[in-house]
Amino acid sequence: MVNEQNKEKTRAPEVDFSTAREMQPYLKEPEAMYVGAPGKHGYLRLGFELDSTGKSILRDLERRHPLIVQQELYFDEEMPEMPCVYILSSGGPNVDGDRYEQDITVKKNAFAHVATGAATKLAEMKYNYSGLVQNIVLEENAYLEFMPEPVIPCRHTRFISDTRLCVDETATVFYSEIFMGGRKYYGNGELFEYDILSVCSHGERPDGKQLFREKFIIDPRVEHPRNLGVMGKFDVFANVIVITPQDKADKIYDETEVFIDNQKMLAAGITRLPENAGLLYKVLGIEPGPVKKMVREFCSLVRQTVKGKPIAPDFPWR
Amino acid sequence: MAKYNLATIMRLLQFTDSTFPVGTFSFSNGLETASFEHIVTDAKTLEAFTRSQARQAAFSDGVAAILTHRAFSKGDYEKCRDIDRHLIMFKMNAEARLMITRMGKKLAELAVRLFDSPLISRWLSEIHSEDTPGTYPVAQGMTFATAEISEKELFCSHQYGIVNMVLSAALRCVRVSHYDTQLILEKLSNEVEQLYDEASQMELQDMNAFYPELDILASLHEKGNMRMFMN
Repeated sequence: MVNEQNKEKTRAPEVDFSTAREMQPYLKEPEAMYVGAPGKHGYLRLGFELDSTGKSILRDLERRHPLIVQQELYFDEEMPEMPCVYILSSGGPNVDGDRYEQDITVKKNAFAHVATGAATKLAEMKYNYSGLVQNIVLEENAYLEFMPEPVIPCRHTRFISDTRLCVDETATVFYSEIFMGGRKYYGNGELFEYDILSVCSHGERPDGKQLFREKFIIDPRVEHPRNLGVMGKFDVFANVIVITPQDKADKIYDETEVFIDNQKMLAAGITRLPENAGLLYKVLGIEPGPVKKMVREFCSLVRQTVKGKPIAPDFPWR
Repeated sequence: MAKYNLATIMRLLQFTDSTFPVGTFSFSNGLETASFEHIVTDAKTLEAFTRSQARQAAFSDGVAAILTHRAFSKGDYEKCRDIDRHLIMFKMNAEARLMITRMGKKLAELAVRLFDSPLISRWLSEIHSEDTPGTYPVAQGMTFATAEISEKELFCSHQYGIVNMVLSAALRCVRVSHYDTQLILEKLSNEVEQLYDEASQMELQDMNAFYPELDILASLHEKGNMRMFMN
């Protein structure tokens, strides 16, 4: 055990979910590396803006390990002016007691695409939990695609996140998350053997007006995801929030297909967010590939509607 | 219940009855689509579907109703408004928002006729002026508090309302009998105590729902042209 006085902690900004009701069973200090220890307390600040020539660039970058962003790249063939950033983590999976904060700002008229380099693995945990706070801010007419690779929760993992989307009435954010049921081909399979996933995303305007608040808690011991109405026969779940002006939301809504396909084992649904803030799109599937493809196609529709361009097919190695 | 006089029990039955004119009969909570998509086909799948609807409602609408009952009993009108706003922001499904605001307004209109409550009158006028959403669970919390029915009975009535709404619709769109639906009601009734224990400890920020299959069914109904029910 590390002596309390010898604990060097990276304090600010604090990521603390100890008041969350659902996390009360998971507040013990890990016996390995303590909460807040260097390397377990990642921070990332990305600021995109237009430079003097009108090019969208990553002007502001601050990072603290294990989160890594090196620089923006312009590899999008359909939109070569789009700065693309992959968030990497040098730590491998999120482990017991990890804390992360990611702040992303897209300034007036700027645009960006943010993804992760690989799936986010949530390792088995014994004492504590892994927490993530995100602040995503879009100024006037800004545009952001946030499309990370899936989250893979291992047996007995605990994860909680809080994402604040502060979006100007003229801006558009595409915010997606994909959750696997677990490592289903590992050993005898680990589907839905995690302890808890608690995910909250809330939208607001720059003047503080609250738009919506979605919170889901998946605790397989309380309500098993296999239950009818929860995930039923499906293993993979994608949730996409699109905050966009109403005329664009109407167009995207009309052009989005909703279905339950028992042959392809895929299902998709869309609805409108409260306060005419935009749209909420959900996909269920068996394997991550087809679900990711649906999310990308939906993103392409959003980009086409807002920027007049589709998104390029994913790289074959992704 | 022992401490109640009979008039109070009569009111509990009145507000819970499916003929209480707030419009529950016109909604199926996605059951129509679930039946069409062969997800709900018999008594077993109907029971699972109804249970998910009941649990989903317990930790959102149920929490809002309980918290309103507590706030209203203390005369804290601002808190009731806060709950109303919070609940509508939490309802991700557009048809669900339509349903709870339509029923909320109807109940408020009834409540001002049944009781002399300046706070419900004020709330109704704010619904008319669109200063507050006017959700059904908040209307229930206010009405039950005014009628001096406890929050536990309120939660019970709320659960019965959801379960009965789905099961009544089932008789019209799923191949089940009255015996099947009454058996399901009996089974789910035994689970209400546990749901209340959980929901009664929750605050606004604890409201949560994870029912993506129900969400997708609701979306299919929203975009489709099946219209035996409004939802």
